[in-house]
Amino acid sequence: MTDTSARHAILERIQNATRSDQNVYAALPRDYVQRGSLDARGRQELMMERLREYGANVVECPAGDVQATIAHQLRLSGRHVFVVPPDLPGDWLVDGFSWKVDNHLSYEEIEQCEGVVTGASAGIADSGTIVLHHKETEGRRVISLLPDFHLCILGASQIVETLPEYFARCPEPPSLATLISGPSATADIEMTRIKGVHGPRFLSVIIARENG
Amino acid sequence: MRASLFITCYNDTLFPETGRAVVRILERLGVEIDFLPAQTCCGQMHANTGFRAEAFSQAKRFVQLYRDTECVVIPSTSCVAMIRDQYSGLFEELGNEDLRKHFAALLPRVYELSEFLTDKLNVEDVGAYFPHRVTYHASCHGLRGLHVGDRPFRLLSKVRGLELVPLANLERCCGFGGTFSVKNAEVSTAMLEAKLGDLLATGAEYCTALDNSCLMHLGGALHRQNRKLETIHLAGILASTKEQPDGATT
Amino acid sequence: MSAPIMDPRIAPPFPAAALPILQNAQLRKNVAHATDVIQAKRNFLVSEKRDWQQLRTAAAAIRAHSLANLGTYLEQFEGRCTAAGGTVHWARDAAEARSIIIAILREENATEVIKIKTMTSAEIQLNPALEAAGIHAIETDLAELILQLGEDEGSHIVVPALHVNRRQVREIFARRMDLPELADDPEALTAAARAYLRRKFLSVPTAISGANFLIAENGSVAIVESEGNGRMCLTLPRTLITLAGIEKVVPRFQDLEVLLQVLARSATGERMNPYTSLWSGVTPGDGPQRFHVVLLDNGRSEILGRKVERQTLQCIRCAACLNTCPVYRQTGGHAYGSPYAGPIGAILTPQLEHMQHGQSLPYASSLCGACYEVCPVKINIPEVLIELRAQVVNQERAQAARWFDPMFLGMKAANFAFAGAGRFRIAQKLGRLGLRFFTGKDGWIHRLPSIGGRWTISRDLRAFPDQSFREWWSARETDRSKETK
Repeated sequence: MTDTSARHAILERIQNATRSDQNVYAALPRDYVQRGSLDARGRQELMMERLREYGANVVECPAGDVQATIAHQLRLSGRHVFVVPPDLPGDWLVDGFSWKVDNHLSYEEIEQCEGVVTGASAGIADSGTIVLHHKETEGRRVISLLPDFHLCILGASQIVETLPEYFARCPEPPSLATLISGPSATADIEMTRIKGVHGPRFLSVIIARENG
Repeated sequence: MRASLFITCYNDTLFPETGRAVVRILERLGVEIDFLPAQTCCGQMHANTGFRAEAFSQAKRFVQLYRDTECVVIPSTSCVAMIRDQYSGLFEELGNEDLRKHFAALLPRVYELSEFLTDKLNVEDVGAYFPHRVTYHASCHGLRGLHVGDRPFRLLSKVRGLELVPLANLERCCGFGGTFSVKNAEVSTAMLEAKLGDLLATGAEYCTALDNSCLMHLGGALHRQNRKLETIHLAGILASTKEQPDGATT
Repeated sequence: MSAPIMDPRIAPPFPAAALPILQNAQLRKNVAHATDVIQAKRNFLVSEKRDWQQLRTAAAAIRAHSLANLGTYLEQFEGRCTAAGGTVHWARDAAEARSIIIAILREENATEVIKIKTMTSAEIQLNPALEAAGIHAIETDLAELILQLGEDEGSHIVVPALHVNRRQVREIFARRMDLPELADDPEALTAAARAYLRRKFLSVPTAISGANFLIAENGSVAIVESEGNGRMCLTLPRTLITLAGIEKVVPRFQDLEVLLQVLARSATGERMNPYTSLWSGVTPGDGPQRFHVVLLDNGRSEILGRKVERQTLQCIRCAACLNTCPVYRQTGGHAYGSPYAGPIGAILTPQLEHMQHGQSLPYASSLCGACYEVCPVKINIPEVLIELRAQVVNQERAQAARWFDPMFLGMKAANFAFAGAGRFRIAQKLGRLGLRFFTGKDGWIHRLPSIGGRWTISRDLRAFPDQSFREWWSARETDRSKETK
């Protein structure tokens, strides 16, 4: 339902207001820091430090040990029923837990799950940010939103240092993205920061090192 | 070195001692100072209250008066900020290209007092003596408009006998703001109270600043509340010597 | 305490609106505490960020460029958003926006709608219109929930309930959520809100959001938040309506690399806020399957066309200016009579009202410049304030009542006096003489009439000295010329 007369009127007003303006996008000043200066190990350590600052739990392991580490972290969580995206690597669905694959699960079914396990699209070390593009190993947005516990497996090579580096790595803008920089929080009551208003209150990250 | 003093309308009328102090300091430093009696006001009060048409004529007057002066010294950061920030825009709006050109030529020769001493005369020790506990208040125009930075501190550090105590929340406005002080008198007073709290906590005998406008507001409240803390323009401190310790108040 | 008036058309002028708040020590303490906390965090992160000034420069340039090419980018956004399955509507003013939104909700047969905090919906006074149309709007931001249940109004752009303390929140929740045993610690209060709202998130099929940024390149919308209620509202419902001012558009996805860095640090003193959500149109199988964007003008295109004022639209609603403003510190947000408070409110509100209302707001400032210093997109707020003051005075010039306004008369008289040295000297003498009447034995004036009385509510005034500077100079010159003879 569009009102074309309003559209026309507004665009005409805008045109009249900006008639004499021409400045070129490519010429905009971008003297801010684009690339970081840390090496891979440095990036990873910064990522872990920032995650911990936010109260997230984080461990690292060689890529070959991912399954065992997943099992260990899930046991530590004290939870049993987990929702996962349909395209999560099969061998990440370790034994000893109940796995609900998200094939159009209802919200009620997702609510029954105690946690969610996903991969990620990127990590931004500067701010300890996990980026989900909700593609294969991440699943649709609701499954990483409703459960109270989120285990995220991030490859060490997916970690960049600065925010501009993340943007530089995207071949094209994602149609969906969620950038997570710690559990949800509010400071609305007397500026006292309380974790976990909505969304998962517990974030656990496994950084898998491809080079061991 | 010759310099022309622009005393400012309010200093001329309410704080002539500041003008006398400036004359004393500069003559002591060997500057030949003159005073053009045709001067009145820089136009700031009108421009900042929204009376821009009235400010035009005052700005014109200033530029025409000082066109051929070697340099102009002004003991008020807010007036210098007016000249630096707003005159160009005023002349552009007036569409007077001649005035704009004359102003552009004049601008580099306009100095606030502390700038004149440290930048033009390259001096920090002006031979002053002021054996008192002093705290410095950073007027907003000096702080953010002119970026006077540490100039006043460098000058104060060379004053013999002076003990400088730092002021908490230095960068927070005292609440004067020109006509704001009367148009929003209650809010101005609340800001003033907060500033007074910080001032009194220093235990200083004197509060100094580069602007008598702030000092009039602070000093007016200090007097109302019968406080021991006095206010004095930086020029008054710098003008004081062992031989003449009165800060040019007489 | 009755709900504060946040409609600039009927709100009292700033000086009057500020009075009851200046007497409210608790509120002022809350405001000072909240703004100190955010500012300290912000200042720490800014000092840590070596390229902070370069980021500000880039952010200001991106926003200025977006505005200079607003038509192009809005059309691009519309095209891409539509291609991705969204529907874009255009609203010339608040009334049109309200009717578009209500029409969509009626089509959905909505009786309830969940909302993410959006200043823009307060600007168009959406909630009362929804109620009148039989649609109950449920605020889901904790602060907005507190205010809604407490029948109160926001006093800060980012932390709207900062004027409310925990005891007050407990009282509101206990009463409105029927939880008489509720404790007043923030943990318990937050848990109560979580439970209350979760039921709504899972059941209400329609949501309304604002937008932090609209990305022209791919027609996507970006929302930053801390609590997660945004993600809930953007993901769970069947239908999503996003209301956004036309100035929110930026050219490319990549521009967020600058804007997100400056926004998080400025708004909440974090390197990145907990959740940032981006979506383009409709994604089959994921999230709302019906998506509407309502682009709102409501005075923005007029501001766009004005040379000095256009920069007002660069604002990214971080509220850093509020946090640093020494005036806001004393009055909080309610004194501004508008959803937009503080320095940005002082320039935006009257302009959105086409300078017909809120004319006291450009004067609610001492022009200290602290706001300009912290603004991540370099809006020279003092410059805009001065420009708006000139417009307010020009309005006054056309009114006969000006001759009864002591400030107006005083300004005209002063201008007359400043026009010549002779006149000025006479004015000085007359002033000196006139004030004698009010001068006490100690040489100070304790009370003055009219405007002067506004000075003397808290300050004395030293009497005009007997000799002005120019008189002293003139006498000295005379003495000197006598000596040289």
